[in-house]
Amino acid sequence: MNKEEIYILSAKQISMQQPLCEEWMEHPLYPSEPFVRAANPDFKPYIPPMEARRMGPILKRAIAVSLEAMRESGVSSPEAVITGTGYGCIENTELFLDPLCREGESLLKPTCFMQSTHNTISSQIAIRTGNHAYNNTYAHKHISFDSALYDAWLQFGLKKIQTALVGGHDEMTPVFYEILRKGDIFGQGVEVCGEAATAVVLGCGTAAGSGQPLCRLAGMRILSNSDEETLNVALQGLLSRAGRTTDDIDAVLCGVSGNPTSDALYLSETRRMVGEKPLLRYKHLFGQSFTASGLGFYVAAQCLKRGFIPDFLYVDEKQRLSGAPRCLLLYNRGDGHSRSLILLEA
Amino acid sequence: MGAAAPVWITGSGVVSAIGLDKRECLASLLAERSGVGEVQYLQTSHHEFPVGEVKLSNGQMRERLGIAPDALTTRTALMGMLALQEALQEAEVSAGMLPETAFISGTTVGGMDKSEQYYLDFLSGESHMEYIALHDCGSCSEAVAQHFGEWAMVTTPSTACSSAANAIILGANMIRCGEADMVVAGGSECITKFHLNGFHSLMILDERPCRPFDATRNGLNLGEGAAYLVLESAEHAQRRGVPAQAVLSGYGNGCDAFHQTASSPDGEGAFLAMKEALEMAGLSPQDVGYVNAHGTGTPNNDLSESHALRRIFGPQLPPFSSTKPFTGHTTSASGSIEAVFCLLAMRNGFIPANLNWSQPIEEGLVPVTATREAGLEHVLCNAFGFGGNDSSLLFSKPVGR
Repeated sequence: MNKEEIYILSAKQISMQQPLCEEWMEHPLYPSEPFVRAANPDFKPYIPPMEARRMGPILKRAIAVSLEAMRESGVSSPEAVITGTGYGCIENTELFLDPLCREGESLLKPTCFMQSTHNTISSQIAIRTGNHAYNNTYAHKHISFDSALYDAWLQFGLKKIQTALVGGHDEMTPVFYEILRKGDIFGQGVEVCGEAATAVVLGCGTAAGSGQPLCRLAGMRILSNSDEETLNVALQGLLSRAGRTTDDIDAVLCGVSGNPTSDALYLSETRRMVGEKPLLRYKHLFGQSFTASGLGFYVAAQCLKRGFIPDFLYVDEKQRLSGAPRCLLLYNRGDGHSRSLILLEA
Repeated sequence: MGAAAPVWITGSGVVSAIGLDKRECLASLLAERSGVGEVQYLQTSHHEFPVGEVKLSNGQMRERLGIAPDALTTRTALMGMLALQEALQEAEVSAGMLPETAFISGTTVGGMDKSEQYYLDFLSGESHMEYIALHDCGSCSEAVAQHFGEWAMVTTPSTACSSAANAIILGANMIRCGEADMVVAGGSECITKFHLNGFHSLMILDERPCRPFDATRNGLNLGEGAAYLVLESAEHAQRRGVPAQAVLSGYGNGCDAFHQTASSPDGEGAFLAMKEALEMAGLSPQDVGYVNAHGTGTPNNDLSESHALRRIFGPQLPPFSSTKPFTGHTTSASGSIEAVFCLLAMRNGFIPANLNWSQPIEEGLVPVTATREAGLEHVLCNAFGFGGNDSSLLFSKPVGR
């Protein structure tokens, strides 16, 4: 469907690595705790301190990383602002829920409620940049970012938009982490719980003109059915639409995280889909979260831009590519039914 | 740009305070019978605020759906299943077709009804920990979907009170792109203490039945429910031999970009959403026979929406009403519940009343105050959310009906 080529014009991150830069490609930080919060940048250049005081970390990071991505891309007014967030604004939800459950239904603060809904992020970006364009938010577990990207991708295909800001954001508080750990959602193997803030600006046609894009979004699929046949059909459909074959894929970036159960599935499913391709990982550096896949997208885009994959991203270093990567498949699966396949090309 | 190819609607289902299916909702709309009243099912101390609850306990919903009494579930998921069941039946969608069908379901509170009940248990980690996996929005949509089988794709838009409308927009874009032949889209949301108290903290709940577009309006009444539309490409529906109940001829999404919880004085986001929907359909404002307004009953929304309506339609405003006095404000589900009401109105040739109205607001707009007969070709349905997430859907009668 996409006659127009869609380019990634910029991609920025705030995570447990050094914020708003690609320092991790040279000097990665390895998490030493099972839960590591994001390294916050100085928010002053992006948000007046008085306003920042009232915001949860997810919102501050989303605004900072989005403004940086927009600045770098030269797109100040994207034609769509779309956010993915799995859990949304946890801190403000807690600040409202805790007194509600402990002290009952009185004297609750409207500010926390106002900033508790998932769409606070996309709408605050719109408010702060005066952007009246298409604005949407997805909250669907580990495909939240992928759903936001998919929405943009459809609209590029329909020629409704020429530029889009797509984000993936999740925060994690110590209280909520403890709940998830006690509920067995975190704490398997050596998986590290992290926080994610990714902002990507995409453009097509003349909108992609000025700068040097990081890479090209050649296609994507989201699927819910978990059987092997469906996955293979989806991949072949995706490749044939992009005019590619399995042979063109240089490596597969997947969500191997240190959770033994899901890692085993990632390895076996990827092998069945594409055979013996080099497998790349990123969650050992960026942690696990519902929108970790946004950080994976960022990692792949930066590797394609630099024509270089750092050794520490290979699951097996012996599989190291000899030349620059040209085509990366991103495979994202969670504990539920949903999967996503994304094809990025240099 | 010419009009886009319309997306067919081959089925729909609804559950709300005025009925557990379309037949019951239609009867209530025609009889001007509101479902808003004193809180009955939600465990809250706020009995002063009327609400539009679905008139079933969770246990009764489980029974209807054949779900075991001890199976983990949330009220949002249960209501979603009831509405989805009706939609799939009408569109003659069998379980065997679901692996080729996408399910897009908007919600914002997700599993909050259980989280607020068990939060202190979650903190101690001693009991009810299994419910934390049901907390997030996505798990609600997954639960609704999986009750019926395996689907091609499931995702969850979450834009507060426009979530369901945005679900329908994504679904329609998927069909127009050729990404899917059939998408079931809408939303589901139960009332929770969390957002009842949240809306109360913002001082936008009325202790009296809500009065949209009335000079004395003083806030909204919360409601709950679910509704879904089966969206389908014309070719696919024709191949299956399933008729169009209506067509989705246009839609728009604009952002007010004004304030986190208030609408701008000129209704910019609402204006942009309605304008885009009309342009996409290739229709002029005069073609619209009825507007189902967002009309929450808050002083701010109704004034802002009035300005937006004036900007689109000029002095010749088509008949309009808000059906929220019937159902309460069903938040994330409102976009699809009211879309189903629009389809009922078109199909049965009537305009539903804006109940509880007595005197015009400063803008002078007068809604339809008594349900009346009307032949409708095109109707516009507005859904606006916190943060200025404004969307508008334009439905048309299928050709030859």
